[in-house]
Amino acid sequence: MTVEEREQRWAEAMRAERRGEAVPYERMLKEVATALRRSLAPRLVRVSLGAHEADDLVQEILIGLHRKRHTWDPARPFLPWLHTITRYKLIDFMRHRRGDTRRRVDLALHLAVLPVSQRKIVRAIAVEGASVRNVARGLATSEGAVRVTLHRAIRRLLAAADPTPTIESPSRNEHDKDR
Amino acid sequence: MTRTDDLIRSLASTAGTQRSASLQGAFAVTGAASLACALLLVFSVIGIRQDFAEMAVRLPFAFKVVYTGALVVGTSVVALHAATPGASATALYAISPAVIFLACGAIFDPTAFPIMGRTNTAVAFCVGGILFVSLPAMVLTFVFMRKGAPTQPLFAGAVIGILSASLGAMAYTLACKNDGTAFVATWYTAACAIMAFIGAVVGHRVLRW
Repeated sequence: MTVEEREQRWAEAMRAERRGEAVPYERMLKEVATALRRSLAPRLVRVSLGAHEADDLVQEILIGLHRKRHTWDPARPFLPWLHTITRYKLIDFMRHRRGDTRRRVDLALHLAVLPVSQRKIVRAIAVEGASVRNVARGLATSEGAVRVTLHRAIRRLLAAADPTPTIESPSRNEHDKDR
Repeated sequence: MTRTDDLIRSLASTAGTQRSASLQGAFAVTGAASLACALLLVFSVIGIRQDFAEMAVRLPFAFKVVYTGALVVGTSVVALHAATPGASATALYAISPAVIFLACGAIFDPTAFPIMGRTNTAVAFCVGGILFVSLPAMVLTFVFMRKGAPTQPLFAGAVIGILSASLGAMAYTLACKNDGTAFVATWYTAACAIMAFIGAVVGHRVLRW
């Protein structure tokens, strides 16, 4: 498809959508998704994001297109409109992912103060959201032992975050509530 | 892949359900309501000038109306541009008439009106009054902008700020006692700048979609 053909085809599908025709609109969304995946994947690979992220981003763009479709004026070309939305969503997406990456790095730095056994348990429970029981089973130890280790790890993390040694140890009940 | 296909199917199933009220139409309604709110505030809270009939035929009043009017028209065009993805950037030239009026008013002031006003409180009253009467306009325009698709939230917010300030200023001309074009060019513009700043800060937060 040349750019002109694509412009005509998709603009026509957008007009059909306004008349309530779902079939051409659905076909257009599929074509847009394919085209976007093809054009965005290399860009995302360059910032070390994979195919999975490309799919998330394509969905974000499709939702944006759909929710804001009334802002397209049929008298104007469709592709520049779509392009602007794509760029907006791409920038937004990159910004979020960068924030996520930074938080992951921060977390890794904080957890680095822990000995390996404690780090493993904190990561499993607090980061990955596993239950105490599953962690205990995975490490072939008792639930009580996991709780004690987690407790010690949290005290150590708090001590590392705040050097004044006035930390009150939280009760076990509070502990469970937070988890 | 299948997740995306599911999404596409559910999006397509709502084809044709969006009411096709044009962005321009919604904008016109917003503008009219904003001006009405601003006028209402001027009449009810600030009060129009005592010697209104006499003052309304002289040059400073004409300058106020023409300057704020040009600003309203110009920023309206830019606001519609900001709400529409892929719109042509030539819309930005729409504010040039207002800028020319502003420059003329500031440079060729035929009145001998002092730029800081006749009383100590003139500047504060003028800028404060404009900010006050333009607040409803700002809220309404933000509601409109959220219906649109602003891809530069900071810029769209700033434009909303200037638009609502110029609408407010236009209504405020009925109450304004400062008959100097340089005064108006300076302090009306200062009010616009303050609202632009507020709008940009708010827009950055509320205009994401």
